[in-house]
Amino acid sequence: MKFIAHKRSRAIQAWLKQEIAEQKKRYNKIVGEQEALTPKRDKWIADFLYRIQTRGVHVHYNQMRKVAPEEIPVKPKRKFKVVF
Amino acid sequence: MARPHIEPFVDRDVPFKKMTLPGFPKGMHYKMLSLDTDDGACTMTCLFEPGYRQPPGMSYTEYELFVMSGSIKVGDKVWGPGSYFFVPAGVAMEELTSPRGATGLIFYNYGEPSFVESTSDHKNAERNRFAAVNSYDDMQWTSTNFYPATAPGCMVKILRFDPRTQGFTFLYCMTPNFWQDNISYHDCCEEAYHIWGTSWMMQFGDLPTGGYFWRPPYINHGAFASKLGILAIGRTDTQLYNHFHFNPWTNVEENRDRAANRIMQWKPDLYKWINTHGHNHPVDFEYDHGHAHGDMPHHHGDGHVEHKHKKKRRRR
Repeated sequence: MKFIAHKRSRAIQAWLKQEIAEQKKRYNKIVGEQEALTPKRDKWIADFLYRIQTRGVHVHYNQMRKVAPEEIPVKPKRKFKVVF
Repeated sequence: MARPHIEPFVDRDVPFKKMTLPGFPKGMHYKMLSLDTDDGACTMTCLFEPGYRQPPGMSYTEYELFVMSGSIKVGDKVWGPGSYFFVPAGVAMEELTSPRGATGLIFYNYGEPSFVESTSDHKNAERNRFAAVNSYDDMQWTSTNFYPATAPGCMVKILRFDPRTQGFTFLYCMTPNFWQDNISYHDCCEEAYHIWGTSWMMQFGDLPTGGYFWRPPYINHGAFASKLGILAIGRTDTQLYNHFHFNPWTNVEENRDRAANRIMQWKPDLYKWINTHGHNHPVDFEYDHGHAHGDMPHHHGDGHVEHKHKKKRRRR
């Protein structure tokens, strides 16, 4: 029994409505902040793709393998986002 | 679960609000971290004012409470930082007080926060699932024991494990100079809160003390690093499997597609059975059948997933 069915009072419904509205604002703020991080992220990704060719990519625990240049993925033309 | 992708969010940036929901005593404050817009399930940072007193009572949803600072008293026992409670729905907790105040995290897992004063359990409460432990003093760090595993230097303390869903709640830490060079995603929702320290993820940047995320399934995260180390608490809703890869640009659909393909490779017989059986309504003989309770969601073979109907009346 993870949950016991019960009737939600008006006060609870109003509280939920308010919290959902505030969460929507928080979400939009996060999307904007993450969008602004794009130039830094592009650099981090470039560094990562370099490291996995030189030092290797983690496969399991401390096991790593070096990725060959022809395995490096190509950035697709579609819009890239990290928050869904 | 219908919670949006909240990542990253730092609760230090927002003030506490008074808890005003009916039933809750005065003196409790909260910061909302994430909220399910369908059922009201949520995760909150909470603050109990010095002198806080909550009479014995229960919640309509199972919840988890983790003490981060200060202390609370439950019945006669004092619980300090690191204390963790798993309270099933309908289980009446003893009186909870906080003479000097405390901060913590509360996870209401299947419904909005609720408190009903009561000295006895609800008739459907599963008291045997109640758990309380001081995770700092009474538990030791272990390796993650997943395969494939996170890199050396990431360790866990498992606070709760649900044998049916394999969802679990855990403390985790990263040692100073931790690094893991791969990208991961999971089939489950995952959430975490940084009790102390800063870690970095290639997608989202730094997550400092007070940092939080709620991440729906199949979303890329990593590479990972932490210069000085971290202490955090995490939770999943179902089994956590590390789908590792190194393509930074895959999206949720591609990741899910890959996960499904991997299931096809790993469990071909079961995969085929699920895809070809007409009713597509598997029954776990260890648990109640969905139809017996009626209100439990189940799938049908016609593509009707999460099918629900009212409890059937028994014929006399």
